[in-house]
Amino acid sequence: MRRFARSLWKLWSSSHKFQIGIVIIAVFVVVAILHGPIVATIGHGQDPLGTAAYTPWQLPSRTNILGTDRYGRDILALTVTGLASSLQVGAVAGLISTVVGVLVAFIAGYKGGKLDSLLSGTADVFLVVPSLPILITLSAYVTNLSLAAIGVILAIFSWALAARTIRSQVLSLRTRPYVELAKVSRMSDLEIIVQELVPNLLPFIGVGFANAVLGSIFALVGLEVIGLGPSNVIDLGLMLNWAIGWGTLSLGMWPMFVAPIFVLGMLFFAVNLINIGLEETYNPRLRKVAGA
Amino acid sequence: MADSENRIEVSHVTHEFHGAALRATGGKLVAVNDVSFSLTDSPPQIVNLVGQSGSGKSTLARIILGLQKPTRGSVTFNGKDVYRLGGRDKEEYLRSVQPVFQDPYGIFNPFYKVDRVLWKAIKKFHLAKGRSDGLEVIERSLRAVDLRPEDVLGRYPHQLSGGQRQRVMLARVHMLQPRFIIADEPVSMLDAAVRVLFLNILIDFRDKYGMTTLFITHDLSTSYYVGGDIMVMHKGGIVESGKVDDVLVNPEHPYTRMLLSSVPVPDPDARWKDRAQVVLAEEEEELVVDKPDIEAPNP
Repeated sequence: MRRFARSLWKLWSSSHKFQIGIVIIAVFVVVAILHGPIVATIGHGQDPLGTAAYTPWQLPSRTNILGTDRYGRDILALTVTGLASSLQVGAVAGLISTVVGVLVAFIAGYKGGKLDSLLSGTADVFLVVPSLPILITLSAYVTNLSLAAIGVILAIFSWALAARTIRSQVLSLRTRPYVELAKVSRMSDLEIIVQELVPNLLPFIGVGFANAVLGSIFALVGLEVIGLGPSNVIDLGLMLNWAIGWGTLSLGMWPMFVAPIFVLGMLFFAVNLINIGLEETYNPRLRKVAGA
Repeated sequence: MADSENRIEVSHVTHEFHGAALRATGGKLVAVNDVSFSLTDSPPQIVNLVGQSGSGKSTLARIILGLQKPTRGSVTFNGKDVYRLGGRDKEEYLRSVQPVFQDPYGIFNPFYKVDRVLWKAIKKFHLAKGRSDGLEVIERSLRAVDLRPEDVLGRYPHQLSGGQRQRVMLARVHMLQPRFIIADEPVSMLDAAVRVLFLNILIDFRDKYGMTTLFITHDLSTSYYVGGDIMVMHKGGIVESGKVDDVLVNPEHPYTRMLLSSVPVPDPDARWKDRAQVVLAEEEEELVVDKPDIEAPNP
């Protein structure tokens, strides 16, 4: 365990890109978790998200830092609430798809043979299925979707990629001599997977999780923008949908679309920084150090 | 040492690899072709298995260790089929037959300290009760293979040299005290000095503890050094076997002669040119035969 903590610390101190990415994500996550109190603080005792809480169409001012929308709601409070629900969907979808993907990858890669063909084949099918049309159909058909349900649906279409990439790693790791030594040391398959393989694949799993979270958030944004999300939940995509529908661009009400785009852009930026940082750490040839 | 004889019997083992990459040669590669021999620990001996890369030596080792079920044929330990062992028998088999692998770099999981390999053996084979007992066993075994425990314990694999790592593997063998060691090219990645040290330890294990070693190598000088019996493997089959002194002095099979003539002679006065030509001529001849290496050899 101490080794694990130390390797985490090494990872942390190895790359500034990684640090910046983690800090941005951490700030977003804290804001999302504390969105209730933050919204309350913005409202000074009243609900800043209530209809006609303020004068509609205000540009940024001292009372409304990012101005207000068509119904007089505070845009900063909208953004914070939207961020919370977007991250929630991303976390649910990312978690499910990573867990399923890792399980499938390890079973397929380690066991091999017919089971591998079956599982990889299934993953391939899910990879080539065009997810957006199916999601559009699904959300048009099913009304009143909860955030968690949306997360599960998005996960169905994102576990396959994680499964494929991790499986290929498992295929290369399972023939390592130390795995064979573990076998002749009477370690069970489960022990070998958990103790010998998983620790070496943690960075891959981490990157896979981050990408699955981001992918799900953007998939939901895509649905919301074309008006097919869970309509009773405020998220960043829904804000973009409103911004387009109300013609905020021609009205000059820039906070309405700048705020969600900025947050989404920062999320994307942060996850990519983490990916680049991880890759530099685990692939020394990318380190811009002479002689490395 | 052993109160009764233990015996590994390899009979008519054939192993074929199938795959899309081998489609050009009919979709299969015969790595081991109808090989039969037996190993016994009374008297303890070192049996050399030599052959060039791709001759099926390592596949044979994996089959004996129970890591790769052969396509045909069987491996039995004291009469019981290795691939049909129940829990108890399996434990006894692994207790009796242990490997030393070729690659001292890949044998350790880079995530853990080297101690773990030794502790795992202690836990899985119930070699000691409690931590202090276990530590004692580990330190005794490390000293038995000329390692100082303080140099090795608490380190990560990349902090040790190749020779040290390979000797940690021997320490593991020393702890388990198996009847048989399957050593798959254990010295091919070590330098000359460490190589001799390693071979001496193997000989030591035979003399002191009565362990029988199947010593797989492509380097005839190492098999000459350890002596004992030798089997020459070529394209999956054993083409010649006998005492090292007989086979290496009076080789009968042309392949053995080819292997022998490929060993560089450390003599500046040797007519290198002539020898090189002989080698070349023979190698060229070999190459023509060798080309369809992936094909099933015609008996």
